[in-house]
Amino acid sequence: MDGCQSGVPTYEGDLHVVAAAHHIVKALGATKNLSDDLRKILIDLDSHLSMITSNIDSKGGRGLVDVEERLDQAERKIMRWETDPMMIWDSGPKEASDYLEAVDETGKLVDGLRGLSVHENRKQKEILHRAMNIFQTAMSRLEEELIHILVRHGQQFEPKNMYSRSIRKDIVYDESFVSVEDEPTKETSSQNCSNDESGECIVDLVHADVIPDIKSIAKVMFTSNYGPEFCEAFISVQKEALEQYFSFLGTENLSIEDVLKMEWTCLSSKMNKWTWSMKIIVRVYLASEKQLCDQVLGGLGSVSSYCFLEISKATILCLLNFGEAVAMGPHRPEKLLRLLDMYETLADLLRDIDTLFSEEAGSFIQLQFHELLERLGESAIAAFKAFRVAISSNGSLYPFAGGGVHPLNKYVMNYIRMFPEYWNTLNLLLKNQHPGVADQVTKPDYGPDTSLLTSCPMAYHLRSITSCLESNLHKKSQLYKDEALQHIFLMNNIHYLVQKVKGSELRLFFGDEWIRKHNAMFQQHAMNYERATWSSVVSFLKDNNPGSSSMLKSTFKERCKGFSIAFEEVYKTQTSWSIPDPQLREDLQISTSLKVVLAYRTFLGRNLAYTDEKCVKHTVEHVENSLLDLFGGSSRSLRNSRRW
Amino acid sequence: MPATDYQASFLGRISIRRNQVIAMDGNHEQELQDLELFSKHVSERFAELLSSPDDVPFDALLSISWLRKLLDFFLCCEAEFKGILMMGNDPSQISKPPLDRLIPEFLDRSVKALDVCNAVTNGLESVRHYQKLAEIVVSALEQKPIGDGQSRRAKKALTSLISAMNVDDKECSAAKATERSWSFSRRGVSSKDRVPEHFRSVSNHVAKNWSAAKQIQAMTNNLVPPRGAEGSGLASPVYTMSVIMVFVMWALVAAIPCQERNGLSAIHFPAPKQLNWAQSIIGLHEKIGEEWKKKEKKGTAGLLDEMQKMEKLGNILMGFTDSFQFHGDITDQKAEEAAAHAAELAEPCRRMEEGLLPLQMQIREVFHRIVKTRTELLNALDQVGKSSPPLL
Repeated sequence: MDGCQSGVPTYEGDLHVVAAAHHIVKALGATKNLSDDLRKILIDLDSHLSMITSNIDSKGGRGLVDVEERLDQAERKIMRWETDPMMIWDSGPKEASDYLEAVDETGKLVDGLRGLSVHENRKQKEILHRAMNIFQTAMSRLEEELIHILVRHGQQFEPKNMYSRSIRKDIVYDESFVSVEDEPTKETSSQNCSNDESGECIVDLVHADVIPDIKSIAKVMFTSNYGPEFCEAFISVQKEALEQYFSFLGTENLSIEDVLKMEWTCLSSKMNKWTWSMKIIVRVYLASEKQLCDQVLGGLGSVSSYCFLEISKATILCLLNFGEAVAMGPHRPEKLLRLLDMYETLADLLRDIDTLFSEEAGSFIQLQFHELLERLGESAIAAFKAFRVAISSNGSLYPFAGGGVHPLNKYVMNYIRMFPEYWNTLNLLLKNQHPGVADQVTKPDYGPDTSLLTSCPMAYHLRSITSCLESNLHKKSQLYKDEALQHIFLMNNIHYLVQKVKGSELRLFFGDEWIRKHNAMFQQHAMNYERATWSSVVSFLKDNNPGSSSMLKSTFKERCKGFSIAFEEVYKTQTSWSIPDPQLREDLQISTSLKVVLAYRTFLGRNLAYTDEKCVKHTVEHVENSLLDLFGGSSRSLRNSRRW
Repeated sequence: MPATDYQASFLGRISIRRNQVIAMDGNHEQELQDLELFSKHVSERFAELLSSPDDVPFDALLSISWLRKLLDFFLCCEAEFKGILMMGNDPSQISKPPLDRLIPEFLDRSVKALDVCNAVTNGLESVRHYQKLAEIVVSALEQKPIGDGQSRRAKKALTSLISAMNVDDKECSAAKATERSWSFSRRGVSSKDRVPEHFRSVSNHVAKNWSAAKQIQAMTNNLVPPRGAEGSGLASPVYTMSVIMVFVMWALVAAIPCQERNGLSAIHFPAPKQLNWAQSIIGLHEKIGEEWKKKEKKGTAGLLDEMQKMEKLGNILMGFTDSFQFHGDITDQKAEEAAAHAAELAEPCRRMEEGLLPLQMQIREVFHRIVKTRTELLNALDQVGKSSPPLL
């Protein structure tokens, strides 16, 4: 194509020169005192100039005719699409490039004609207006084509393809602390998505094939000063696509009031969804949107980031508002893990956000993210504190039947078993929080080989939580009237505690010393139990006169009877007690056996002479077998099993 | 943290400074003096807002700068209020009657205000869109000579602008967001510049069925001036602050496009005229309420001064582009008039360009402030011991 200066003939300039000359000649001719010769020359010149003018005029006319012809051609190309139901870019690359060429041509004619508007030439003005009219039609059409391309080639993508919904934070108790009496068996897998954490996952929001088309439209619209129209159309379509995707993710908009009133189970799943949506929206969708903006509008200064901000702002604010609402809500302990999920997600995304919204206008969004992160952190700490308060204040009026593992214990231990997953975050958040429990509990008196993990802030707090739990369990044990059952209860519960710690990553934070100490603790309770239960029973079998070889028969009978009654009583009571852990039960049975059966066997052996059916209700084997029935959790009686 | 630096440098510099001064004063004065000072400040601030001259466009009622001033005053009053409530006095007061009832009601109102803030923030996105369309109109009409091409370009943007501004609240909330078609139905459309069947407008961003008018109506629940002995105690600043909060939210909703505003003018402020501080608020309420009633029937995007100017000039220019299309050409005088109107339209555009983002940030600051105070009040209630069940 020619440059625009050659687009329109420059007859105008010539005309000016001639007109000026003509003017001078006329002025000179008007002078009175001129010689005849000179006057003659001037008259000749005048007619000559008139000739030139008419020459130029006809040449200029031809120039305008050229312009008109070119405009006619471009107009035909542009206007034919106005009646065509097809979209240009759908019709093929040739059509599109022809169209762009015609637009380009029109643009040049407009520019050229506009440069000449000094002279009030009616014809010329008419052509200019016609050209501009055609140009407007073309621009309007390009805007439509743009919208059409964006909508038609917008790519739907399934979040599943982006992130495998693997279970990172495996199992989470999703129920409220209030429902602590329930067996927490309802385990729901969290929907945390795990990407390959570094995972920048960019997709084509618009099919890659049409990017050059969009770019070519952008180029011509921006050079023609129609950039604002391009931006508004582009933003409108992309913004709506994002909003549609957002609702496709199932994250509906909720008012803060709604969130604050929401039931925990519902809120919990919304929090989950938020975490998931936030990641997808920021890491995948917005990263891709940013790329699209840069591809299409890169090189146009701040236009790309302006469009990106306008497209994403509303959705981002909507996500942030849910976060704000959650952070404001009551700090219930059950919220802790979900809050930590949200916190970690956000902390994880901060870098992405800072990059996406690095421009000054986007710093508003950046700021909101940072503020929300802070708020979620505070909220998580508050929930953490509430968790401990809930543990220490969990009261019961009645003893827990059977002396087994208390649901509170189960709840707490299963809950804190998740903490190591979050230990970096928890350490960060708890750094300046004092556990608020007596020092000896939290101070790691574990000698010089204490690992870093056992002395990190989270470890302090974990131990403080279990010590709260322990003292609450002690309180609960006081509800039993039977001292032996108190010990069984504590043994069970401390054993459970230790098992949970040993069987999970918690052991790294509690440390071997803690485990040793607590092992010793439950063993002590086992021994206390034995003493409380069996000392009196076994005392029947004690030889009061170790010197003599045997006792009187009546004494033997009496002792036998006493033992039987006491044993049957224990049997009846303690079969209803419960030691849920089979290993622990077996250990206790063996050690009881060792004590009781051995004493019984010795007792009977020493008094072999009297051991007839009538006196001895229970054989050694029977006693030994009966002991295996203890702690099964259902009361049984020996009276029925054997005739008296 | 960079966030706080940013905030310190950008937001509320003035209000923070004012708060400090007030807090220091407050600590050393008697409760009664505090209360008096508080209502004096409230009354002064709102008197200043009421006296905003209509003829000075920059500070006109419900202009962007006026709203920013309003929000600034809100932040000041709020800080002073919190100081009175939580610092100088015996903290256990807030858990005793009548505050044990008034504070939870106040907190409930606060939560509602937060949703209004969000709805308005979202509405500002629409205003931003109007601005961009108006800018297109300006740039089309400032070219010379004006021809059919520019006139059509301007008309296209004007059509979008005017329809976007006239989309009524209901339309722009619920139905709009569900299904929108991008088809232009190319066949049989005669107009040369089709305006897409799509106006970027307030989409359903708060929640389904959420209504700004109902929300504000709900904020006035239980809002009655303290009587008798209560009037001299802390009940009175709680009441004052509540009225201010309701008024500010109401004014924002009236000014800026917002989800569902039917019945906004019917909201009654239970502020008795004999209360000194309330007079200016009542005056403002009446003034804005009148305006709203005038516009309500026609359906309006909002009373924001810049937007109203835009609407007025938009309609004039629309007439111009219509006649242009009809006659094919116009007189020079008409062209000059149009150019003058276009230049006039550039003014609200410029003020929006300068003011919308700061306004949005300021609304966000109000949001955060309300959250913060709510948290502090809840903590205080908690610590006083008689921790009532979590309010909301």
